[in-house]
Amino acid sequence: MKIGKHVRPIAFGAGAILMGLFSVAPADVVAQELRIATSYKLMTLDPHFANLNETNSLLSQIYERLVYQDEKLEMKPSLATSWRRLSETRWEFKLRENVKFHNGAAFTSADVVHSIDRIQNLLKPPSGGYQSYVKGIKSVSAPDALTVTFETNGSLPSLPLFLSSIFIVSKQASGFLTTEQLNGGTPPPNGTGPYTFKNWRSGESFEVVRNDDYWGGRPSWSDVTFRIIENPAARVAALSTGDVDIADFIPARDVPSLKQRGATVANISAARLNFVQFDVANDQAPGVTDKAGKSIPNPFRDVKVRRALAMAVDRNVIVDKILSGFGTAAAQVFPNGLPGTSANLVTEPPRYPEAKALLAEAGYPNGFNVVLAGPAGRYPGDLESLQAIAQSWARIGVGVQPLAVPFSVFNTKRAAGEYGIWYGGGSGESADILVSALLGTANSQGDRGSLNYGKYSNPAFDEMLGKAQGIEVGPERYGAIATATEFVLRDQPIIPLYHFDHVFGYGKKVATYTMHPRGWTTAMQAAPSTEAK
Amino acid sequence: MALLSVITGRLSQAFLLIFVMSLVGFIGIHSVGNPVYNVVNIETATPEEIRRATILLGLDQPVWRQYLVFVQNVATGTFGTSYIYHQPAFGLVLDKLSATFELALFAMLVATVLGLGLGVLAGTRPGSPLDRVIVTSSVYALSVPSFWLSMMLILVGAVMTGWFPPGGRGLTANLLGFDWSFLTSDGLRHLVLPVLALAIPNIALIARLARAGTVEVERMEFTRFCVAKGLSRRRILFHHTLPNISLPIVTIVGLQFGGMLAFAVVVESIFAWPGVGKLLIDSIQLLDRPVVMATLTFTAIAFVALNTLVDLVYVVLDPRVRIST
Repeated sequence: MKIGKHVRPIAFGAGAILMGLFSVAPADVVAQELRIATSYKLMTLDPHFANLNETNSLLSQIYERLVYQDEKLEMKPSLATSWRRLSETRWEFKLRENVKFHNGAAFTSADVVHSIDRIQNLLKPPSGGYQSYVKGIKSVSAPDALTVTFETNGSLPSLPLFLSSIFIVSKQASGFLTTEQLNGGTPPPNGTGPYTFKNWRSGESFEVVRNDDYWGGRPSWSDVTFRIIENPAARVAALSTGDVDIADFIPARDVPSLKQRGATVANISAARLNFVQFDVANDQAPGVTDKAGKSIPNPFRDVKVRRALAMAVDRNVIVDKILSGFGTAAAQVFPNGLPGTSANLVTEPPRYPEAKALLAEAGYPNGFNVVLAGPAGRYPGDLESLQAIAQSWARIGVGVQPLAVPFSVFNTKRAAGEYGIWYGGGSGESADILVSALLGTANSQGDRGSLNYGKYSNPAFDEMLGKAQGIEVGPERYGAIATATEFVLRDQPIIPLYHFDHVFGYGKKVATYTMHPRGWTTAMQAAPSTEAK
Repeated sequence: MALLSVITGRLSQAFLLIFVMSLVGFIGIHSVGNPVYNVVNIETATPEEIRRATILLGLDQPVWRQYLVFVQNVATGTFGTSYIYHQPAFGLVLDKLSATFELALFAMLVATVLGLGLGVLAGTRPGSPLDRVIVTSSVYALSVPSFWLSMMLILVGAVMTGWFPPGGRGLTANLLGFDWSFLTSDGLRHLVLPVLALAIPNIALIARLARAGTVEVERMEFTRFCVAKGLSRRRILFHHTLPNISLPIVTIVGLQFGGMLAFAVVVESIFAWPGVGKLLIDSIQLLDRPVVMATLTFTAIAFVALNTLVDLVYVVLDPRVRIST
């Protein structure tokens, strides 16, 4: 959307008049209302129903967890003030004093036991997302009102991380509340969070008001309205006109025009990865042929081919041109600097002659043809990346036919093994979780390889990662995870492409917005401007 | 008698239509992809979780059995539970109905009044400059794609001038158990742009029809006879011209209104108007089959009902229809 030069003064003039009108209104009342345009569709009011960012992000205004994962992905106290490991399989969590639920009930250890119990025993899939977090918990007990003891099945150093995903609900005398009861709004959602529930319309809006009794001090905003606007252009329009104060997930191409209209833009490298993944297990990879169109044995089983293709990807073009700079070239699963990443893994500029030589060495001096599949419109830059890769690989003789399909179709076909090579995206609570989902060998417990559709298997790596994940949270563990990642990526089972940025825009009412690499949209991250107070 | 036969005929038609449509819709959605990948978090879910979710949603059953379950759900009136929202699908559609209904109703009112007025104005002065302006601009209004029109309306009406909000429903008030935007001034302001976006092409369409009809009727002998008899222009217009051009216009109003109720997808998406069209497109993207089926069924019913209504209006408007049935 471009506006001619001659109309801009008019628009600014109108804006100034409007601002003048607003300043007459009692500033206190106006200023403390926060309106957020979000792409996150709240699907349910049940905080344990589905482990999707959509629900977690919005419900975290109302509900809290024992542990909070901060923007450096470190574990910080929330409803629990401290925790320690009593033995290999026993943990003790001390709870915060003087915390009240929105209905006035005191928060105690019984509520924690109840919440874990609800996930373990009441909910049936598709509320499955949370069950994987509590699977390792054998039993929970409450020695006193402010202490909780967890007994785990075997060693579970990631317990605090897992608990940083689980919302604590209030224990009911009448037993568990069902998802239907919670969605119906009777009784209303009852958490300990900084905002209390006011109203919800599925796919439309979500409203909360300030919880004056919040343990962490008086929350900044008196009323917060989330408007669910999935269309990015509509979110940008809502922010440009001052209809909302914050808009999340702004397309990079709209950033300059937003800035011009006086909005501030914040961005952070997302704790996620977009990558190219190969089928490395089957003798034939679907869609892979020689230059004449005849099918050939799966070339991706040869590490030289995978390395050659990785060498011939121009990540800088993707980041600079496609993402307009709102992204980071990727050499590992999370942006460098987050826990579990390795400083040794850095991206390199493309080396086409070397890549071509390596391909020839592997027995493909003339290259081959592939169908490169990917979802369209799911991740920033997904479709364009397919085309950029096609151009790069053409230089080493690999003909690429990009195949972009809707995300749901992509998932179905990828799971059915219909693709030989594809572009995908992945995220996780921590680097080791993502690396094990992408590259670990699928096991019977189901905690490995959920994104490993290429069926890559490297027992030495599995063992290294397993050992690393057994270490207590801290530098030693992070170092071991980084080493395991370095080791496995030498084998090039995937080609890391980029970490896109989460880009948020906000207006004058907001002084700063603390971006979170997991892409959360909450009122707590927004600090009000001083003059607005 | 005529009324009864029209209604029974329509009812049997409706049932057949809904049956065929449900079958096509069901198989269509089924073949697009597996909804289970939208229900679990595909980036973190384990195969075991996917398997359990599949069983819970009944997606492990053969298609014909899933269809039978669906028919059962229709019979109980719930249309099944939404895979995504975990609420009865029909309830979700009902929730969005008032938003779409008021949008379509206002758009159609504006379109009919303005379209008819402009069309008759042009038709009674064929060849005049006014006629040429109306005819030419109607061509533009009809050929502009609705997403572009919507974007321009937002650009001009919201971003540049700040007169109207760029999207959303604004404040609503409750009447008869539904939320309505038109009952509050804030809601009315929110209505303006999307109503215009929907109305503009229809104004053009109706204006062209009305113009063509008027030109034709004005040439007829009975009109000339009326003029010869010395009737006033006003009387000729309201008592003779308008009734004679009304049939095609009533038809097109009925059809377009049905279309707006069901498929105002583009306008609803761009203006973030939480209506049925937006629900349909969201649900198709998420492969939320129960909601898609509930929406489609509602659409079919709306179309059949509107067509029936149009037929009944024919009976009232055109004496010849009354005689022939």
